[in-house]
Amino acid sequence: MAFIIRQISYTADGREIVRPKSVEKRMIVLGRSADSDIHLPDLNIAPEHARLDRLDDRRVRVVASGGLDFEIDGRPTSRTEVDVTKGAELGFGGHLLTFSREMGDIVIAVRRVEALSDASEEKNEAEVFSLSKVLPSRRIMAWGGVVAILLAFLIVPIISHAFASKDDRKIDQVIGDKSWSSGKLSQAHHQLEGNCEACHQQAFVSVRDSACVSCHTSVHDHAPANRMGPARRDPGLGGAVLAGFAKFFGKEGEGSCVSCHTEHEGAGAMQPTAQAFCVDCHGTLDERLINTKLQNASDFGTDHPQFRPAVMVTPGVHPTFQRVSLDNRPQDNSGLKFPHKLHLSGTNGVARMVQTMRGEFGWGNALVCKDCHTPTPDGVRFQPVSMEKNCQMCHSLGFEQIGGTLRTLRHGEPKQVIADIRAYYRSTGPVRPDFSGMARRRPGDYTQAQTQATFAMAAANRPGTADAAIRAVFSQGGACFDCHQVTPPRAGADWGIVPVKQTMRYMQKGWFSHDPHRTETCQSCHKADASNSSTDLLLPGIAVCRDCHLGEASNSDVPSSCALCHSYHADDGAPWTTRDRVARGKPGTNTAAGGRSTGSK
Amino acid sequence: MATKAASSGRRRQRQSLHDGFLRHRNFFWLKVATIISLVVIVAYMLIDVTPRPNGGSWYGYTLGTVGAGLILWLTLLGARKRRMNPGVWSLKAWTSAHVYLGLSLIVIGTLHTGFQFGWNVHTLAYVLMMFVILSGIWGIVAYATLPSALSANRDEMTQGQMLDALRSLDRQLHDAAQPLNREQAQWVQSSLNEDPFGGNIWRRLTGYYPNSPTMIAHQEFRELTAFSPDLGNSPLEKVDSLLERKRVTLQLLRRHLRIKAMLEVWLYIHIPATFALIAALTAHIVSVFFYW
Repeated sequence: MAFIIRQISYTADGREIVRPKSVEKRMIVLGRSADSDIHLPDLNIAPEHARLDRLDDRRVRVVASGGLDFEIDGRPTSRTEVDVTKGAELGFGGHLLTFSREMGDIVIAVRRVEALSDASEEKNEAEVFSLSKVLPSRRIMAWGGVVAILLAFLIVPIISHAFASKDDRKIDQVIGDKSWSSGKLSQAHHQLEGNCEACHQQAFVSVRDSACVSCHTSVHDHAPANRMGPARRDPGLGGAVLAGFAKFFGKEGEGSCVSCHTEHEGAGAMQPTAQAFCVDCHGTLDERLINTKLQNASDFGTDHPQFRPAVMVTPGVHPTFQRVSLDNRPQDNSGLKFPHKLHLSGTNGVARMVQTMRGEFGWGNALVCKDCHTPTPDGVRFQPVSMEKNCQMCHSLGFEQIGGTLRTLRHGEPKQVIADIRAYYRSTGPVRPDFSGMARRRPGDYTQAQTQATFAMAAANRPGTADAAIRAVFSQGGACFDCHQVTPPRAGADWGIVPVKQTMRYMQKGWFSHDPHRTETCQSCHKADASNSSTDLLLPGIAVCRDCHLGEASNSDVPSSCALCHSYHADDGAPWTTRDRVARGKPGTNTAAGGRSTGSK
Repeated sequence: MATKAASSGRRRQRQSLHDGFLRHRNFFWLKVATIISLVVIVAYMLIDVTPRPNGGSWYGYTLGTVGAGLILWLTLLGARKRRMNPGVWSLKAWTSAHVYLGLSLIVIGTLHTGFQFGWNVHTLAYVLMMFVILSGIWGIVAYATLPSALSANRDEMTQGQMLDALRSLDRQLHDAAQPLNREQAQWVQSSLNEDPFGGNIWRRLTGYYPNSPTMIAHQEFRELTAFSPDLGNSPLEKVDSLLERKRVTLQLLRRHLRIKAMLEVWLYIHIPATFALIAALTAHIVSVFFYW
């Protein structure tokens, strides 16, 4: 009846070495201390860790005595009883004890199961010295990234697009397509931000003009397509490449809205069109569009034709106009006779009359431009001069005073004038001679009879003198003739006046606004004080403009690109860039882009 | 005379065999990449794109197509590396081209953007591309500088020898600590339990291991031994000395691990980021034509 202790260890090649030891004691001690019966060189074990007490030939009591627990079949405990015939496994630190019974002896097999240290454990050298245990595998990271990115940025938007409702009242239905936007939309299209389908209506189909004109209903082409086509310059290598891309991927190509109006270029106003954009075609237009009436222009400062205002060649109810270069000193016949020089003089009778009337009308010592010419409310042009407002304070049409009221001929209605004169002569007699009182006359009855006879004859002939008066009014020296071209009576027509049409805008193709030019005097452009005839066209030529305005890249006072005066989608209003600039300068105005300016820029 | 010239010519040839991929063929691919970059930059300056440079102009499309093709070709280095036959170009030539053409992609890619960036898939692709390139640059710098640091550090030991040295010290520590009391034995045991390869990627890259159990154990023992004379029979002195040696060896090993980690870590960015880039590039191209 003894404890047989078998210390089992392994050689490097895994062979088992068993060292048995027999202890003839009832109670044995287990510990790290060298005099223990079961000596376990294990730093996790106390010098005297436990006592093993044999109770009978099959039962052993194990009690932890050093303050540290041990494990029985994997569970920690401080004391236990082991039936050796049933077997048990006790764990002390890195060692395992197994119990059995052989020929009446209690056999305890001891083996070290844990490595001596972490470093002593078996290590895969290639693995531990690399990062493979510290970081997730490259393959997993790569595929994880691929799947995540494709899912978030491609698959979700495409599936969402495929299942989006076809009801176009519902906007912004596609999920995840905001990540596709290559940049912010311009200020004008800001409200479409995120509503990609408003323009990108079909997958893999470029933005069509139809999408644009669904809102921009009034936009028209720059010129008819059959003129635009041949006018375009050869696009060159780069343009050909771009056109190739566009064609290959089904874009509408040149002339479509998006070929010029690129979006997603960042928030803010759209960029004004560069001069080069116009010059592409207009710089050498006559080379390609040989029958064009337009002259080439590539730069306002160096290469721009003289202005060709539309002047009135013949006045009348249906006046005829002709575009004549200012170099050819065009005459503009509006039908009115008005010598500017005469009226602006500071020394003549006009000036004298002005001086007598200045208190009433707020004039100076002579007339100046603004006394007759009133700007339109927008400041761009001037209101037509009118007889009633601007002329008749001097050029009176009065012909009779009744009581305190002056009767005047009706301006603008020659037939009424003729009728009024006739009525005047019919209803009034000649001045009646006064035979009573102190009126002076030659003495004698003969004189009185003669006066009476003269009056009677005059009264009898009175209505007949109307024709002479009418002729006088319409003829040289008469009230009408002074200012108007008169048509003499013809068969079936009485005296007439050629209607006066004042041209409000001479240059229909370009834009000019007086408003920004208020800093200049009128005479600096319009030589009115030297003009003796109203047919003198007082427009300044391009040379005057070039005092301040030169081309886009010039270092003039006002570098001016084409877009300052011209518009691609031209209408009656100011060019887009000018409208926009003016709006930005005036708070509360609608900009060309459609937004409301705050005036803060 | 003639033989001398011939032999010196042979020597030159032999020397050139030792050129790395950076100097390959007298920087041939560096020159190619430089010319490409210059041409691309000059063209960018000269070509007037309206209203502003962007990826949708004809030049933008050209750069984009070239860039995407280049990215795919650069990715193929991974496949070429695994193919063991010599091929038309040597792996070295291929790597040289990979490095320098990859660098020229910075120019091509950046000019393709027209400097328009935003929170979108397009910029994501660009950022990933730059990420890949920068990690590649890091890799080259690491390859150029770190191997000498690695060999200077390891004191002519192989990795296996370092591990064996640790194991030997652990065995000796274990034996020397047998007579110690429980608390002291626990310090030694905690040092024995310390995983020399433990710690996360941050520890690996910085080589900074605060509260290393070996260090703490050593400090504890140093406190015990500092004020008593070493008479040659104290187990504490022996353990102290062993722990000190273990500390030094552990430091050596961890410096080795740090340098190796810096040599390797760029690939853990370069490769996954490359695949993420290709995914983002696909999304970039498809989305552009989807919303065309």
